[in-house]
Amino acid sequence: MYDRIRRIPAVALIAGALALMPISGSAQNSAKSSDTASRDRWLHVRVENPDSKDELVRVNIPLDLAEKILPTIDKDNFHNGHIKIDHFDCNGVDFPALLSAVRDAKDGEFVTVQSKEQDVRVAKQGNYFLVHVVDKEKSSKDKDAKPSRVEVRIPMKVVDALFSGKKDEVDLVAGLHALALQGDTELVSVKDHEQTVRVWLDSKNVSD
Amino acid sequence: MILAAKVALAFTGTIAAAGMYTFHDGIAQVQVDDNHGTHVHIWAPAAIVPIAMHVVPKREFHKFPHEAQQAIPILRVLAKELANYPNSEFVEVRDSDTHVRVRMVGSKVVVDVTDPENKVHVACPLAMLQDVVDSLNDLKENDDSDPAGPTV
Repeated sequence: MYDRIRRIPAVALIAGALALMPISGSAQNSAKSSDTASRDRWLHVRVENPDSKDELVRVNIPLDLAEKILPTIDKDNFHNGHIKIDHFDCNGVDFPALLSAVRDAKDGEFVTVQSKEQDVRVAKQGNYFLVHVVDKEKSSKDKDAKPSRVEVRIPMKVVDALFSGKKDEVDLVAGLHALALQGDTELVSVKDHEQTVRVWLDSKNVSD
Repeated sequence: MILAAKVALAFTGTIAAAGMYTFHDGIAQVQVDDNHGTHVHIWAPAAIVPIAMHVVPKREFHKFPHEAQQAIPILRVLAKELANYPNSEFVEVRDSDTHVRVRMVGSKVVVDVTDPENKVHVACPLAMLQDVVDSLNDLKENDDSDPAGPTV
């Protein structure tokens, strides 16, 4: 009888530990899922070949992860999430002042270049900095080829954040942080006869 | 009779505890199959990898290239943060004959590479990755703090 009584706590302890294991696991999972909800900004890169469905590159990066990884990289001009630009020379132009002027300016086109080879358009529209390039060189040689199109659409707050550090540095971490605060948006689109490239931001952990 | 039961209980308890400890980090899995008939399939409890690292002579770690040592801080953050992204696909590259995928499946980092010659599947529990990277980092810090430099 005495032995049985002494055995009960040991058995109960093991049974209790085994019974609690899945509970603690699910508690961890629920904590993780709520944590995941706060880390739901993903940067997606997708490269496809329109002629061949077999060729595909998909990269999905959580912005929060990128923000934490970048400061750990210490290589060449890349230190602590900053890229140092050697021989940063704007020919006397005060770059921060220029950025500030662009930010404060009304929506409109700043640069428009039209030539036989390519059209370039740099504009500001609804707090986005836009660069559109249409390369007509290949299509002029091959009439079947469509012109290559590059469209870059960067939120002004991200541009500000990127150049918020020292004069000759690009602060990538600040840029990513500012990007994470933006809504779903397409950042880069490249379309030519060989491939299409898309870079966009949303809350899905897979690219559609 | 009671003594035999006690011994059996103690033995079973020890085995159960050892088993739970051995497998608490999950199982690391490496599978390599090629077209020449080579099939390497390894399943190892993730907990034994950090233990095995303590057995490896330190001079072997000093043979790591400088670039690999530079990657240790990156891997430390990566191993810690990836736990927040279960069941996520990070990279997929596919062309006519090659397919590469890097993803999280539950608490494991899974890398799959398929090409015409080989099929490789690696599944590594994050806990194991964290333990390994922490061990490497400790070695690196000991070296950095040692004025005599690495003991090669």
